[in-house]
Amino acid sequence: MATRDSLIQVKDLKKHYNRGAIKALDGVTVNIDQGDVMVVIGPSGSGKSTFLRSLNLLEQPTGGSIIFDGVDITKKKIRNEAGKMVKLDIDQHRQKMGMVFQHFNLFPHLTIMDNMTLAPIQVKHMGKEEAEKKALALLRRVGLEDRAGAYPIQLSGGQKQRIAIVRALMMEPEVMLFDEPTSALDPEMVGEVLEVMKELAQEGMTMVVVTHEMGFAREVGNRVLFMADGKLLEQGSPEEIFGNPQHPRLQDFLSKVL
Amino acid sequence: MFTAAGFEKTFAYIELFKQGLVCTISLSVLTVLFGFILALILAVMRLSDVCPFRYLALTRDGHLREQGFLATLSRFNPIRFIATVYVEVFRATPMLVQLFIIYYVVFDGVDLPSFKLFGFIRFDRFLPGVVALALNSGAYLSEIIRAGIQSIDGGQTEAARSLGLSQMQNMRFIILPQAIKNILPPIANEFVTIIKESSICYTIGVQEIMYAVTSIKGATYRIAEPLVIATLVYFCLTFPTSKIIAYFERRMSRGDKR
Repeated sequence: MATRDSLIQVKDLKKHYNRGAIKALDGVTVNIDQGDVMVVIGPSGSGKSTFLRSLNLLEQPTGGSIIFDGVDITKKKIRNEAGKMVKLDIDQHRQKMGMVFQHFNLFPHLTIMDNMTLAPIQVKHMGKEEAEKKALALLRRVGLEDRAGAYPIQLSGGQKQRIAIVRALMMEPEVMLFDEPTSALDPEMVGEVLEVMKELAQEGMTMVVVTHEMGFAREVGNRVLFMADGKLLEQGSPEEIFGNPQHPRLQDFLSKVL
Repeated sequence: MFTAAGFEKTFAYIELFKQGLVCTISLSVLTVLFGFILALILAVMRLSDVCPFRYLALTRDGHLREQGFLATLSRFNPIRFIATVYVEVFRATPMLVQLFIIYYVVFDGVDLPSFKLFGFIRFDRFLPGVVALALNSGAYLSEIIRAGIQSIDGGQTEAARSLGLSQMQNMRFIILPQAIKNILPPIANEFVTIIKESSICYTIGVQEIMYAVTSIKGATYRIAEPLVIATLVYFCLTFPTSKIIAYFERRMSRGDKR
């Protein structure tokens, strides 16, 4: 059952609301390979965010499957090695998928340091000292080691988002999901966040990025998906998507955003 | 209306007001205490996720059903249902009716010991009073607690869960520490409300402040003067309390603007 060729295999993924009247996702099939930087673009309401949020089950899909590390995580119960049906521990799978949100979602009542060390200490039972050492190293990487004792409210939007990225990295995820990470930022702060993401991509992190930053898609992405009306209409390399778009909806979309 | 002689007569019974004050305070404190415990239980029940028929939501291949009777039944939560019915019934019926039902119906067959608290409060009337007030304020307090928990942005839960924290860990480390700030001020205000509402207990012969007024009326044939004094006593009790609450409320919200 374990197919190791792709890290995440998404098959015919569906998310319907209101008894199927609204189809946020209408049968999306895609494979995400190790080291992929997959950029998802499309008009608003196209289902990009729903697709991304389904990957770690913040949205429960109503159909299809997501095979991550050889396990179909959309199932409530799975067959374990011994062949017995056991309850799927979704918390365990979410640890391996880091997620960065449009609105940062830092924990306002905790310092930056505590924001970063809470999950490793509570979930992975990492020692406090070890976790703090690791957090400082990551903070240094994004140039924010002097803000370890600050509270989120004291930071700028760009700083918050960089913290959110390294907070997710603390759990050493196999894949990072970005849900419009720069959409809530002031224009002058977009660059610093994209820079961190770019570095991450260059280190070989598998990433799925929903964004409106076409420059980032073109420069950093190795695959681009175009979605509209809950469907995956076109996918390909950035050169193919931006240089030679086939689908009329994509041509129309690109003419508006570029 | 007011006469000097009337006040003189009233002051002869000032001991009754002192007793009434002690009784009102103990009635309110005990009510808040038991009401809060009840409210916590009710809030947990209303936020619980106990669906005994949940398995009906899955189709044979393990996907969520979107519609139909089975989907509805699978979402039925008997624990939440009971708590909701309780809260709605107690909020939608008059306090006086509840008090009479508790005292004349529920405690009718119960043989309460007839000793006197502090040497003057008749326990067999005091206890039903506390029970009725606590049952009533428990319903209101549970709404405060529930609203406080639900007021926390959903993004917080999403961030916590995406880091791999379980639902319990999310509650303990992320939601409750933030919710308590929103919950404490309205709970303190509810305490002020209970001090005033407790006056209703004179109708079943609990010797609180209003009971002192009716007693003095019977003895002196004066009503205006005892009422003025009762008003003053209530005001001196509730006004400083609400001022102290407002002070702490301001101090706590200052923390947000760090």
